[in-house]
Amino acid sequence: MTSTPVLERPASPEGRRPRRVRRTTPRSTLTRGAGLGLGIAMLWFSILVLLPLSAVVAAAAEGGWGRYLSVLQNDQTWAAVTLTVSQAVLVTLVNVVVGTVIAWVLVRDRFWGKRALDVVIDVPFALPTIVAGLVLLSLYGPNSPLGLHWAFTPNAVTLALAFVTLPFIVRTVQPVLEELETDVEEAAASLGAKRSTIFRRIILPSLVPAITAGAALSFARAISEYGSLVLLSGNKPYETEVVSVRVLTFIENGNTASAAALASVMLAIALVVIVLLDVLQRRVSRRG
Amino acid sequence: MSIEVSGLTKKFGDFVALDDVSVSLPTGQLTALLGPSGGGKSTLLRIIAGLDTADSGTVSIEGVDATGLPAQKRNVGFVFQHYAVFKHMTVAKNVAFGLEIRKRPKAEIAHRVEELLELVHLSQFSHRLPSQLSGGQRQRMALARALAVEPSVLLLDEPFGALDAKVRKELRDWLRRLHDEVHVTTVFVTHDQEEALEVADEIVVINEGRVEQVGSPDQLYDEPANDFVMGFLGEVTTLGGVVLRPHDIEVALQPGLAGAVRGTVTRVLRVGFEVRVTVRTGDGDPTAVSAQASPETTVVLTRTHARQLGLDAGTQVWLTPASGATTVSSMAPAGRRAAVTSGV
Amino acid sequence: MVSPPVKWGLRVLAVGYVFFLVAWPLALLVRQTFGNGLGNLVDALGDEQVTGALQLTAMIAFWAVVINLVFGVTISILLVRYEFPGKRVLSALIDLPLSVSPVVVGLALVLAYNGRNGLVGPELEARGVQVIFDSPGMIMATCFVALPLVIREVVPVLVEVGDDQEQAARSLGANAPQTFWRITLPSIKWGVVYGVVLSLARSVGEFGAVKIVSGNITGRTQTATLVVEQKYQNFQQETAYATSFLLILVSIACLLVVAFLRPKHDS
Ligand SMILES: Nc1ncnc2c1ncn2[C@@H]1O[C@H](COP(=O)(O)OP(=O)(O)OP(=O)(O)O)[C@@H](O)[C@H]1O
Ligand SMILES: [Mg+2]
Repeated sequence: MTSTPVLERPASPEGRRPRRVRRTTPRSTLTRGAGLGLGIAMLWFSILVLLPLSAVVAAAAEGGWGRYLSVLQNDQTWAAVTLTVSQAVLVTLVNVVVGTVIAWVLVRDRFWGKRALDVVIDVPFALPTIVAGLVLLSLYGPNSPLGLHWAFTPNAVTLALAFVTLPFIVRTVQPVLEELETDVEEAAASLGAKRSTIFRRIILPSLVPAITAGAALSFARAISEYGSLVLLSGNKPYETEVVSVRVLTFIENGNTASAAALASVMLAIALVVIVLLDVLQRRVSRRG
Repeated sequence: MSIEVSGLTKKFGDFVALDDVSVSLPTGQLTALLGPSGGGKSTLLRIIAGLDTADSGTVSIEGVDATGLPAQKRNVGFVFQHYAVFKHMTVAKNVAFGLEIRKRPKAEIAHRVEELLELVHLSQFSHRLPSQLSGGQRQRMALARALAVEPSVLLLDEPFGALDAKVRKELRDWLRRLHDEVHVTTVFVTHDQEEALEVADEIVVINEGRVEQVGSPDQLYDEPANDFVMGFLGEVTTLGGVVLRPHDIEVALQPGLAGAVRGTVTRVLRVGFEVRVTVRTGDGDPTAVSAQASPETTVVLTRTHARQLGLDAGTQVWLTPASGATTVSSMAPAGRRAAVTSGV
Repeated sequence: MVSPPVKWGLRVLAVGYVFFLVAWPLALLVRQTFGNGLGNLVDALGDEQVTGALQLTAMIAFWAVVINLVFGVTISILLVRYEFPGKRVLSALIDLPLSVSPVVVGLALVLAYNGRNGLVGPELEARGVQVIFDSPGMIMATCFVALPLVIREVVPVLVEVGDDQEQAARSLGANAPQTFWRITLPSIKWGVVYGVVLSLARSVGEFGAVKIVSGNITGRTQTATLVVEQKYQNFQQETAYATSFLLILVSIACLLVVAFLRPKHDS
């Protein structure tokens, strides 16, 4: 082989064009097959999620603002909204503290039975919600071995919400703590930082996005909970009735318009939480 | 010509990774794509393989226009920097993959896999999983896997980049021998000039998305097209307005030769069998090019030679380029010079 | 790093909280189920209403999991491996079912698909497709609530394994389906398994949305969770406990599968 490679470059004396050109919009990299897959997936997503949710919004919008106001101004509905939001906030705060502690214990502590604790944390997630209510009734119901008769009281709502939201903060904080090397803490300690300082300046800041993401999930779940409350709270108007139950009552009474109005308010809250979550998740975990 | 690339341009957002690149690579040779990190070597290689698409320009392989062809139809062997082994398959299965895709008869596949594992010295590991191999072994497996489909060209993206220096050197020699045996047109990417000079028949120097020079190792070393190529292939220093290699400078204690540059030794550093001498030349010297040109010149001498001359800090010396030295004018456009310093 | 008293304090808080909230109540329920030996279970399994509901739950969970599996893997690959306009919005919307109340899900499906005055229900009914008060609606409700679970498990795994094995396969001549079946799927296998197991647990346990969409017709559209509610409210608590126990078994089995498979394959 004697031929040599040939270099063909337009000989321009001043040479280089500027390397920076104007920003081009991100192009689609879909192949034909991937495009088809996306199309079918989007069709299904629309049939399953988008169309039904727009049906709710459409039904709610039919009555205009007047309907919203009259639904929300109804005393019983307002009581349900207040109860749900305050309980959701309370339970989320409890989770922020206890969930973070549990995550810390799971990552940094060592003791007999830790593995079991790790599995039990997920039980509320995997357990059917109606069964969750039944489970709680066995310890806090009429036959309570502790003598705690919390069924049909606001305490039952707290209990049920705390039960179903238990895994959220634990499971978002745990992986972040795992990645947070003990080296970092030790390095800080070797630099003379006090324990409280290390916690405040090193550990807490890196956990904040994860805790917030978990709290968002926990709050969203709490305000939308239904199944675990059915048997446990008794659904007493003005006392233990939550928003979801209120919506269901509207549906069962054939008052679809009010149901849709209240449901669309809940949807709006869900959307806000999802946007918050999306922003946070980009910081906490990786999603393409 | 085995691979013809013409007018390739590739942008990532607003960043130009390849800027109108044209190059032809002859059949059967081992070519190195050499250049600093981020220069666009991988991008060029991936476009040749069909793993990326260019914004404009054409690629043809063995005379066939491959520009619009997807990777799986190009019959190109690609070896990745981080091996890209199929983790869930045994070594033998990895090597057999391309043949199975091509639905070759079982017996033929088994025979060919055995042959290739022999070639890359991995026969005794055929039933292991890649996770049970060392880095060098994994890379040899990846090479066998690419060779299995009898590719018309073999492309290697920094094949030894993730390995330690010793294994790297072994594999580099082994690649050269393998190429002499198999004779498939091979292009490999490296940013190690020693690797390129030692192994390749031809070297394409790429910097900032452009081809700086194409030539044999000797051509590049002896006739660099510009100071970037010269600087990238080895150490350089400036003397009286030219760029040249520090060991291509003759040192005298008297002003003998015409055009000799006078200077004062400021530092003498012994590194192994060499002595590096720093000479300040700028002051009041009529031959000094300009005020901003570095008034310091580095000279490399053998230990014996330095001792004969009795060099020490403060010694007055006269410097001249050795006869036959490779030199390049240092008065390149400003942009070019910036490229040199920022690129390396 | 943490002083022993603090450490003990945290440990006791964590274990105590989980014990009183989850472990002890769960144990009590199991004890109540076996209050008179195996009697409750035998009675429940002899009750046609219960067995029918269990079968219906199994059928619905199966289809919901299959649909979410296909959809989830497709969307995950699209989100991780491709760029397209609207990707970010899609990625956020996928999580929506996590925060929508099951009651709202049920209402939404009814408003869209009921045969009387739904958005598209009457047209479907005219073509002989009944969604609400029938299995399609129940499967859809279940799909909705479990939608993000596969995606949330598969996406991080896809990111983790990267695409260089897929590129290697393509350079060796594999086309898109071959690359998917031979390379991508085996390397995300465990993520898919976890996603499926979690979806299964969620699908078996769905209550609110299914209650609204199914109409809760005894013997026809009543799932296991609906039976638990009805039996408990009809003072057949033993049957409710026994049915719950069976559902608990399913969810604990799912959890154990995840717990024991995951560490082995993460390392
Ligand atoms: N997918 C991408 N998106 C955006 N920019 C990219 C992408 N791939 C490469 N680039 C940019 O293009 C330029 C050329 O990249 P390329 O990988 O070809 O360099 P290289 O010469 O192979 O460098 P190295 O020796 O470090 O591997 C780099 O500046 C890089 O940041
Ligand atoms: Mg590269």
